[in-house]
Amino acid sequence: MRLTRLVASTVVLVAVVATGIGLGSQKAAAQDTGNDVLRIGWAQDPKTLNPFTGVNEEEYTVWALTWELLLNFDPETLGPSPGIAESWEVSEDRKTVTFELIRGAKWSDGRPITSADVKWSLEVLGSNGLLFSAYTGNVTSIKTPDKYTVIVETSKPDARIVGGLWIYILPKHIWGKVPVKELTSTYQPEVPMVGSGPYIVTEFERGRITTMEPNPEWRGDPPAFEEIEFIRYGSQDAVERALDLGEIDFIPEVTAATFDRIGEKEGIETVKAPTYAFTELAFNLCSEQNCPDAKFNPAVQDKTLRQAIAYSIDRERNNEIANQGTAFVAHGLLPSFYKAFFEIPEQDYPYDPELANQLLDDAGWELNDDGIREKDGMVASFDLYVRSEAPADVQQAKLIAEQTQEIGVEFNVQAVSTDKLTELTIRKVDGKPAPEFDTFIWGWGGDPYDPSFLLSLMTTDEIGASSDAFYSNPEYDRLFEEQTTLFDAEERKAVIQEMIAILQEDVPYIVLTEDPYLEAYNSDSLGEVTRLCPAETGTAFCQQVSYEPLLTLQPGTGSAASETVSGVPGGVVAIGAAVVAVAAFLFGRARGRRETEPLEVEA
Amino acid sequence: MNARWLAGKVGAALLTLAFVLVFNFFLFRGLGDPTTQLARLPQSSPEEIEQLKRDYGLDKPLVGQFADYVGDTLTFDLGISQRTREPVWEEIKNAIPWTLLLVGAGTLFATLLGAWMGVVAATKRGKRTDTGFLGFSLFTYAAPEYWIGIILILVFAVAVPIFPAGQQVTPGVEFSNWLSEAFDVADHLVLPAIAMTLLLLGQYFLIMRSSMVDVLTEDFITVKRATGLPWHRVVSKHAVPNALLPLVTIAAIQFGAVAGGAITIETIFSWPGLGELSFNAINDKDFPMLQGTFLVFSAGVILANLIADCLYFFLDPRVQTR
Repeated sequence: MRLTRLVASTVVLVAVVATGIGLGSQKAAAQDTGNDVLRIGWAQDPKTLNPFTGVNEEEYTVWALTWELLLNFDPETLGPSPGIAESWEVSEDRKTVTFELIRGAKWSDGRPITSADVKWSLEVLGSNGLLFSAYTGNVTSIKTPDKYTVIVETSKPDARIVGGLWIYILPKHIWGKVPVKELTSTYQPEVPMVGSGPYIVTEFERGRITTMEPNPEWRGDPPAFEEIEFIRYGSQDAVERALDLGEIDFIPEVTAATFDRIGEKEGIETVKAPTYAFTELAFNLCSEQNCPDAKFNPAVQDKTLRQAIAYSIDRERNNEIANQGTAFVAHGLLPSFYKAFFEIPEQDYPYDPELANQLLDDAGWELNDDGIREKDGMVASFDLYVRSEAPADVQQAKLIAEQTQEIGVEFNVQAVSTDKLTELTIRKVDGKPAPEFDTFIWGWGGDPYDPSFLLSLMTTDEIGASSDAFYSNPEYDRLFEEQTTLFDAEERKAVIQEMIAILQEDVPYIVLTEDPYLEAYNSDSLGEVTRLCPAETGTAFCQQVSYEPLLTLQPGTGSAASETVSGVPGGVVAIGAAVVAVAAFLFGRARGRRETEPLEVEA
Repeated sequence: MNARWLAGKVGAALLTLAFVLVFNFFLFRGLGDPTTQLARLPQSSPEEIEQLKRDYGLDKPLVGQFADYVGDTLTFDLGISQRTREPVWEEIKNAIPWTLLLVGAGTLFATLLGAWMGVVAATKRGKRTDTGFLGFSLFTYAAPEYWIGIILILVFAVAVPIFPAGQQVTPGVEFSNWLSEAFDVADHLVLPAIAMTLLLLGQYFLIMRSSMVDVLTEDFITVKRATGLPWHRVVSKHAVPNALLPLVTIAAIQFGAVAGGAITIETIFSWPGLGELSFNAINDKDFPMLQGTFLVFSAGVILANLIADCLYFFLDPRVQTR
């Protein structure tokens, strides 16, 4: 009796396993349908595809592949290059720019791309899009004399009109039909989306997958990948594991902590490139007049003290420790990413604690009994706020506190939430800024080509808006206005360098590091990778900035093909078999026991 | 079933729900203003942030916001997510089946396995099987779920890659029929479900074991044995049904709570359920979404309690006579 059961359950088990193997091989056979798919993994995905309401990086990544700008960012120099417009002309007084659109260009649904689309997008997205309304402040009119000409007039010369209009050109025949009220609230674009870029979104399942396929009306060479899949994982850990397991080909953002380790794995390559974002130590420089109710230690407004602090911070070493060497040491407010305008400033504050001590001695800052410097009743002891969500910044802050001890300056590091720090910096009393901090560590990011936004952080106009050092200097303000009017990059660079020199002297910020892009990819599934945005020092993917690098990517030998699956996964079969086996075993045992169990009582 | 008894239970449940409704609103307001995050977005202007506050209804005084919230919720309008701009209910509706699948599978396996282990351990009290089961379940009960999850992934997805490490279906795959899709989901369900089972197993086992031990020492068991009934029949027909009662109640009550507590497992395995939804909502300070998910969690717990009460009514005749 028992034997028959054992035999029977074994037969069932074998049958299940055999079927499983059969079905499993069916899956393998079904995989090879030939299309090349680029699989990109990320831990955050677009919350919406609507540019009027989206605010996240991932959204920009998808938009940048879907829509062109009036002028795109050149992938090699990041300077202005043809986008929807193939050429542009700046008038004598520099207050009028005339754009000639590419003739015969079409949206992915076959409708022509015309000046009406441009005018609508610049006007409607440019004044209602949550992230697009800061570019057209000086624009007085947008004229469209014919289908392929757009004339933009500004109240004063504005260099951002060429190379700085980061406003996507949307198809008016689709977006124009939707009331603005709906666009800025609940509207979700239909897929497949209508675009002008090389790829369009054909599937969007939030929290799971965003699929893009080539735009049938794309003017350039057909893209090498027939599909791009942005796959969302629950955590950064899971994303990095997926690359290791070969589930994805590319990660646009690797964490600093794991960057080196990932690069050591076989078949995985990494790319590290500086970006348009930086991390700074900021000082509260708000004047009595601008911020009557501000709360801070007035010693922070002593210029010599700030200069000495700058000399006492070892930016190189701190980057190695706090960021595992993944970031880039900064040189002034403007990141090196802004190739056209960047230069290492003459006054760069190399690490020199002796010089720092000398400066303070000369200025009359004397050490008290606690080893902290004092002058005229002011004590060089400051609160240093840092965001608890950014562990690298917390570490950076501790290192700084350690280093400035050497020069008798005390920093009390306080890790607070991002919200708390935001509140401390944007606090207002009676409508006037009333910041409540001495110093903090945080960062900013700018636009891909035009440096105006980052430079504007130090203008008097931004006090009460984006300015968080509350710096004010009329000469700087004048130069800022001047640089926005200069269309010639060389002339503009000279003015910007003057501005940077002023900041290096006054030290409202000590810019610590330029934030990096950290990418990782599977070298089998991607062939040759060209670094762009900008050329040589840039990234493989150039997310949010240009679609060109993606077009240079070629499928390698091991890239994935789109799958059709019709079998049973091996794991399920294994579990099924295990369950059957255990059940058969227990059943057999129970039966056996029933016949032989002696009568016994326990307990 | 006694109508008055039922009405009392339902009334109490509704009252609890009402309290949760009020509490939720004020709880999440403590997180701060969701627009402060936007204050540092480089390309947005202060005017737009003001506009956004108006859109979200945050410009109104708290009492006004509360009135809006209660009114909308009572008409089953959970609002629009502040991040995705989709109706909150739509997103919750998409996430519920995934959570139910995961929690359901975990609870099912954990109760079955826990009950079986409990019976075995209780009948062999003090022996090696008992100590072994006890040690194992105390270990899984004490081990943090993220640790269990990561170990499962490292063993069964990385070292011996027989199961996928995350997601609920293979991304980007077209299925030829629903059956192969179901199998693919099952394949993805295995590891998170095991993690869920291990998470729940310990307490179910302990409850079943102690309840079995109690029952086995009662007089009627001795009587049954004295009548000459075989031991296995005494256990299966007389001891187990009586011992099962607390386990069923706990499993039913837990079901609601577990659905809300699956956050860690869902995050580790990229499982797109309610836990992940609320986790992201906390990060984004998406008030309507948070209120929505927590309302659903609370409603789940309250409903599970109600069901457990009703189950008791049928399972335990003593309740009916009261």
